[in-house]
Amino acid sequence: MNTYWVAYQIALQETLQRRSTLIMDRLGGFAVVVSLYSFWTALIGDKATFLGYTRGEMLTYVLALNVLRSFVFTGRGWQLVGEISSGKISSYLIRPLHYYGYALALDMAQKTVHVAASFFEVSLLAWLVQDELFLPRDPATWLLFGAAVLLSSLIFFFLEFMISSLAFWTSESGGPLFCFELFLQFAAGAFFPLDVLPMALRRLLEMTPFPYMVYFPVRVFLEKVPPAEALRLIGMEALWLMAVFTAAMMVWKRGVASYSAEGG
Amino acid sequence: MALAIETKGLTKDYRSPVKEPGLWGGVKSLFDREFKDTRAVDGVSFSIEEGELVGFLGANGAGKTTTLKMLSGLLTPTSGSATALGHVPWKREPSFQRSISLVMGQRSQLWWEIPAYETFKLNQAIYGLSDADFRVHLDELVELLGLGEHLSVPVKKLSLGQRMRCELAAALLHRPRLLLLDEPTIGLDVVMQKNVREFIKAYNKRSGSTIMLTSHNMTDVVELCKRVIVIEKGRLLYDGALDRLVERYADHKILRARFTTDVEPGDLKGLGSVVRYEDRTVTLEVPRARMAASAAALLGSYPVADLNVEEVAIDDIVRRLFTHG
Repeated sequence: MNTYWVAYQIALQETLQRRSTLIMDRLGGFAVVVSLYSFWTALIGDKATFLGYTRGEMLTYVLALNVLRSFVFTGRGWQLVGEISSGKISSYLIRPLHYYGYALALDMAQKTVHVAASFFEVSLLAWLVQDELFLPRDPATWLLFGAAVLLSSLIFFFLEFMISSLAFWTSESGGPLFCFELFLQFAAGAFFPLDVLPMALRRLLEMTPFPYMVYFPVRVFLEKVPPAEALRLIGMEALWLMAVFTAAMMVWKRGVASYSAEGG
Repeated sequence: MALAIETKGLTKDYRSPVKEPGLWGGVKSLFDREFKDTRAVDGVSFSIEEGELVGFLGANGAGKTTTLKMLSGLLTPTSGSATALGHVPWKREPSFQRSISLVMGQRSQLWWEIPAYETFKLNQAIYGLSDADFRVHLDELVELLGLGEHLSVPVKKLSLGQRMRCELAAALLHRPRLLLLDEPTIGLDVVMQKNVREFIKAYNKRSGSTIMLTSHNMTDVVELCKRVIVIEKGRLLYDGALDRLVERYADHKILRARFTTDVEPGDLKGLGSVVRYEDRTVTLEVPRARMAASAAALLGSYPVADLNVEEVAIDDIVRRLFTHG
């Protein structure tokens, strides 16, 4: 356990050390939030609600997106692809270390910094637009939201880990990873609430783990999901996490075996 | 003494896709990919005792790195067996991993943006070193490698030599009983090469660890290794004392003579092959069997002021082994 805690602390230092990368990352994310905010404000116009969301709820959705992007969508996929392609992965494979635990520790460090930055940005934006925001009063909502977000970030981490592990077989695994990340943002509700989509497509997406990553946690936050239903869905999320974790470990083990057979 | 490494018929094939040249070849390989097996290591057997420092030599692509990767557990062999410190390396048992280290001169395990000390702290956690052990080991390495002030500088600001020394420290912090070094002096300047060499020698003496090293730098080999294993195209070519390599692979000796008056070098051809003639001094390569006769003929027929017979330099022989196989 100590290993991963030390790795977390070191990664935290490194993330803070790379100031310009961090600032660029944050500026990019901030621009997305500002454009989404303008887009939805224009769409809602004078209407009291739009797709079942009040103006305040929609603004909250957009701001929550910024926080969730920072917490959920920050895997270590590109690092893994790079380390497999360059052969650096070798130096981890010969040490008494679980690489996925190590990568998760690094990811948690990245999340810590980015979430802190996103809270700052969200507060700034909320203060700038002076619009009403939806903040749940019931502590249970916060708990359910926290549980949902934690599970969703782990699902994302292991899904990305699995896809990046394809680099063990092909030098072109950057392509699938890129497509995955783009599709995921759409399917998770990180561009817009999934209520926008036709019913058939929504039903289809509900059979995947994607809506659990952004759409579901935000709806929990907005108290649009009754607590009992939220608990059931968190249970579903946990099942998804187990499935994704098992699959990722299988792909990883086979990848390492293939790497050991084919050479680093 | 116990064996640190033992391999029997160790063999490794690599599978790689074959692509026909040109655009059409590219399109074809999209649908119908052919593979070719290449044998990188071919039935290699040797054993190394604990505490030995062995040079592992061979030309590029001879199979040195592949062998080291198998011994460190990174690669599984196609056939044959190996044990290192009593373990089958590719089972990757944590107790085995805690006792070895593999340093590849061109790869880094250090964190780039932050001081090397942080990587050392991480390795302390990974290898489960107590704070006291960490202190003692680190102090020793800092002293041997002259790291001092470099520990607190971000790794990216270090020179190549400083970084390589930090790399060695990171690899040795847990005091591995088996150290596999792949080109430890690559890219370093002459002074740095010497420092690293001295360190390796001192570390081997002080810790009693088994060290196996590959290098293209002949000075590394000559200064560090009493014993060498030479492989060529994946096969074991020689395993034994470095000195014996000379007897076995140098079929000639060097005869050097200084004359009191000028001599026509062309006349000396019958005694051996003339390598050089300058300042009334001739250097001849003479087959071992004819050495006595050639020396006698030289002394009998020419105004010789000084004469000496030398073995061919080891690095020349190893270089020849690499180029001719």
